[in-house]
Amino acid sequence: MASQAPGQVETREEAALIARIATRDRAAFAALFGIVAPKVKGYLMRLGATGAAAEELTQDVMLTVWRKAEQFDPAKAGALTWIFVIARNRRIDALRRESSMTTYGLEAPEDMPDDSVDAPDAGLDGAEREARVRAAMQELSAEQQEVVRRSFFEEEPHAAIAAALALPLGTVKSRLRLAMAKLKAKLGDLK
Amino acid sequence: MTPAPVHHPSTETLAAYAAGTLRAGFDFVIAAHVRGCAQCRGEVARLEGVGGALLAEADAAAMSEEALMQALARIETAAPPAAPARTIEQIIAAAKKRWVAPGVWTARIDTPHAKDDRVYLLGVAPGVQTAKHTHSGAEFTVVLQGALNDGGVVYRAGDFCERDPDDTHHPKVEGAETCVCLFATQGRLVPSGVIGRIAFALADV
Ligand SMILES: [Zn+2]
Repeated sequence: MASQAPGQVETREEAALIARIATRDRAAFAALFGIVAPKVKGYLMRLGATGAAAEELTQDVMLTVWRKAEQFDPAKAGALTWIFVIARNRRIDALRRESSMTTYGLEAPEDMPDDSVDAPDAGLDGAEREARVRAAMQELSAEQQEVVRRSFFEEEPHAAIAAALALPLGTVKSRLRLAMAKLKAKLGDLK
Repeated sequence: MTPAPVHHPSTETLAAYAAGTLRAGFDFVIAAHVRGCAQCRGEVARLEGVGGALLAEADAAAMSEEALMQALARIETAAPPAAPARTIEQIIAAAKKRWVAPGVWTARIDTPHAKDDRVYLLGVAPGVQTAKHTHSGAEFTVVLQGALNDGGVVYRAGDFCERDPDDTHHPKVEGAETCVCLFATQGRLVPSGVIGRIAFALADV
């Protein structure tokens, strides 16, 4: 077991709620909704959705959480990571429906086989991995945290980040690469 | 078992893929590589963990007062019968070949993309002269079969290659097998030379 540094918050509570939701526990769903829905909505608004669109999409995400709860495996992924992937995919689906592009037929990534997490990783479970990622994020410089955060919160991120920070595109890319290398080094064999 | 890919997307590209902010169609090409690449699957899983960490610390936006009531009502409705999700392999296999020149075919991929972008397969037999071209925008490629030699670098099945705008290149088929590649290109390709012009006019990709 990894020792837990002070200030590390684990998402064990959310993971336990999802396990109860898998047994069709409505109280657990209401509790998770209270914790997670405002964060999902905030994330979607940060990516440019209007309040109303973000609210509707968040409902869609929470409905997916209800329907797919039994597929959640706390040994493989942290609760917030699992919900992040659902929110990301629902958002992509919605964007592509809207712009009347051809049918989105790509297999939803959250359903994809994921053998990568079978690798030995010091016996950590999803919640512990999630806590370590967050701790590693805190150790990045403010500049590096900014490019990592923006790369998840901007559409067509690199050009947008470069414009927002008034930096050359190459600088943004190398800063992001450096930040990722640092995260990778901190997380070691953590997948 | 095919050997592990040697050429991978950059960390920035994988980060955008994990964040869900890559251009439509370009993410399909990344998905085609990632499916066959254990290294990149691990990298994407790690990056999704970063996404989870950012979601955990995201600024909350209050849901409307009736949101929970609506959610509790919605979970009582039966899930509509889900259309069976098509795998990347199935989508690629469904693409219809069109021969555009002796030994050269193209096939459009049925996946969302912007109007001026192209997502397609290109099959080229060994010994066939391919069209020299420049790009008006970015281009992602994954080799699906055979091998490709681009400026002395050999790309084999599973390998990924990213080209920036303004790169002029003239890839050649390597070896004795037909080379099949999956492409996403931003904007139209700009052929240079007569053969290129004819091939691209015929291909209409
Ligand atoms: Zn790879």
